[in-house]
Amino acid sequence: MNDFGIIFEAEFVRRIKSRAWLLGTILGAAMIVFLSAAPSLFNHVISNSTRAVVLAGDPAIVAAAKKLIAKDFDTIATEAAPARPPTLADLNAHKDASAIIVLASGKKGLEARVYAKDAGGFRTTRLRDALIPLNVALAVHTSAAAITPLMDFSLDVESLDAKFRDEASANSARGFAYVLVLLLYLAIILNCQGVMTSVAEEKTSRIAELLVATTSSAQLMAAKIVAAGATGTIQLLVWLGVGWATAAGIVNSIGGPNGGLHTSDVTPTGLGAIDLPTSVIVAFVTFFVLGFLQYATLYAAAASLISRTEDLGSVAGPLTLPVLAGFLLANWGLGVPNATGVVIASQIPLLTPFVMFTRMAVVSVPIWQVILAIAINIVATVAIIWLAGKIYRVGLLMYGRPPKLTQIVNVLRT
Amino acid sequence: MLQLTDVHRSFGSVAAVRGVTFTIATGATFGLLGPNGAGKTTTMRMILNILVPDRGTITWDGAPIDGTLRRRFGYLPEERGIYGKLKVREQLSYFGKLHGLREPLLESRVSEWMERLEIGIYADRPCAELSKGNQQKVQVACAAMHEPEFLILDEPFSGLDPVNAETLLRALRHLQSTGTTLVLSSHQMYQIEHLCTDFCIIAGGEVRANGSLAELRRGWPTRTVLVEPASPTLRAVLDRVSGAHARPQQNGTLAYDVPQSFDLPALARELVAAGDLTRLERLEPSLSDIYLRAIGEPV
Repeated sequence: MNDFGIIFEAEFVRRIKSRAWLLGTILGAAMIVFLSAAPSLFNHVISNSTRAVVLAGDPAIVAAAKKLIAKDFDTIATEAAPARPPTLADLNAHKDASAIIVLASGKKGLEARVYAKDAGGFRTTRLRDALIPLNVALAVHTSAAAITPLMDFSLDVESLDAKFRDEASANSARGFAYVLVLLLYLAIILNCQGVMTSVAEEKTSRIAELLVATTSSAQLMAAKIVAAGATGTIQLLVWLGVGWATAAGIVNSIGGPNGGLHTSDVTPTGLGAIDLPTSVIVAFVTFFVLGFLQYATLYAAAASLISRTEDLGSVAGPLTLPVLAGFLLANWGLGVPNATGVVIASQIPLLTPFVMFTRMAVVSVPIWQVILAIAINIVATVAIIWLAGKIYRVGLLMYGRPPKLTQIVNVLRT
Repeated sequence: MLQLTDVHRSFGSVAAVRGVTFTIATGATFGLLGPNGAGKTTTMRMILNILVPDRGTITWDGAPIDGTLRRRFGYLPEERGIYGKLKVREQLSYFGKLHGLREPLLESRVSEWMERLEIGIYADRPCAELSKGNQQKVQVACAAMHEPEFLILDEPFSGLDPVNAETLLRALRHLQSTGTTLVLSSHQMYQIEHLCTDFCIIAGGEVRANGSLAELRRGWPTRTVLVEPASPTLRAVLDRVSGAHARPQQNGTLAYDVPQSFDLPALARELVAAGDLTRLERLEPSLSDIYLRAIGEPV
């Protein structure tokens, strides 16, 4: 085994046994499970706590409303129109009721007023949507039963882009892209910070000089980064495995009909629902590798410049900005993947891994843009590795206060 | 043989090493001396190819020092480093592998060096739990366990109590016996003087003195004679010696610096003739004297 293999093995074992990696992997998996279960869970809790209502008003209107809202609300009692606005005591008289809904026929249609125990938690939109047929019926003087069928008509959106069959699969892809970009962000930031911590530990414990006297700094940095990449890949596989089993909920919750977070639209569809194109998987792997290499080498170089662990924040802070910018731009790109700003950002090194991946997941990106982005990023990655390697080699032997930018430039000239 | 020829190295506008030239014979124990900031560490880093000289050449047996050659070298830097979470045995094993040792030799060398430096009882304890002196012995073992052809030890005795210093001394003598060429940098002149065969004194990035102790002494212009008792008669004889300078009298002993070429038998005859001479001793300059003079400090 050569030096690379020896350092890789030691670094890999050290990282995989570290509390940070174990906790990151477990918490990441737990977060995925939580995000998957949360919409259904919240929906269940919200439904149960706001489901029971009391309807008050004209018996005919109440009877019609009771039918219309039956899908979302349980009418536990009906009453005649109250003489005065209901009070909390009136509501409490009906055990478990979350609101008293007073209904009346007005000049323009239905007049409805809700007296809820918790106005903020009451599902007003649901109630309003359910009562629209009654409103129309009263306005045009017909029955709600005649209006209801008219409210339900199908609107199919056919995709002219070959990438997705229909709107549902496009929404599904958008939801899954969101999850993958989040994983990409977490995998890159957690593992690059792992590289940074490892370099900083060797620098601050002064063992770095002993190591570079034994092996080349290039091998040392390369082995560290590859080991972190390997542990990062294992972490990603664990997360993806957990996500694969539970992601359907997230996909549906995020990629609902309007692309919004309608928790009540969650309908878990099982593993079969995830239809991930091979091109997206290839893009994910490609951009993880490129992004990881770019950021890991920069983080390693930054860590080599510090002498005390306390200084880590001052050199790592600026590097967090492009990661965060890439992640936020990727989220923006989910909605408008072909906006000029998103297209430009998808060609900029450090941002490409997040933004181009997102675009590829949600639209058909022209092949020349993909090739150009990968080419720019390969060149940039080589340049970053060269630059970071040079800083790392000299930085490992520099002690004292964190260097200023001019000192770093001087280092690069030597 | 290690050969440095006209080696220069600057950091920005600061010239850390300026035209350093010296040779270290194979198997020698070489003392690299100098005050703080003299350029010793930079020189050592260049020898190990950690830093590249701006100018000049460094060769081992005529060949430039590359990665393959460096694997046969060892280095204990002045700034000590250790993986606190690794156990002593794991730490030694890691550095042994990096220096090219493989099983079963690796395991036997790890055990051998733990025993030699008396750290075997800590083999399965994390290094961070060891005392500073024992951590230092772990670091020495990491640098020396592959029994390198060439080993640089920067301040190996600092922080060691006399017992541990003696343990280290025995380990260094073992390395001497195996033919390892040793370079020691230390401010503890007494140990260096007794351990090293050759010396180089650097100050301001330049070589100020270089050679064996005998050679360095040959370049020293005076010798010190001690005479007892401190009587006026004997003092008068010493005052007559051409070029002699009295040094402060200590404990009833007369001390005079006299030219290196003075005639000791003739002086002895004059002192005996002058009266009740009880002691006449000629002192060679110590390494400390030579060092202080070389770096421009008063002796």
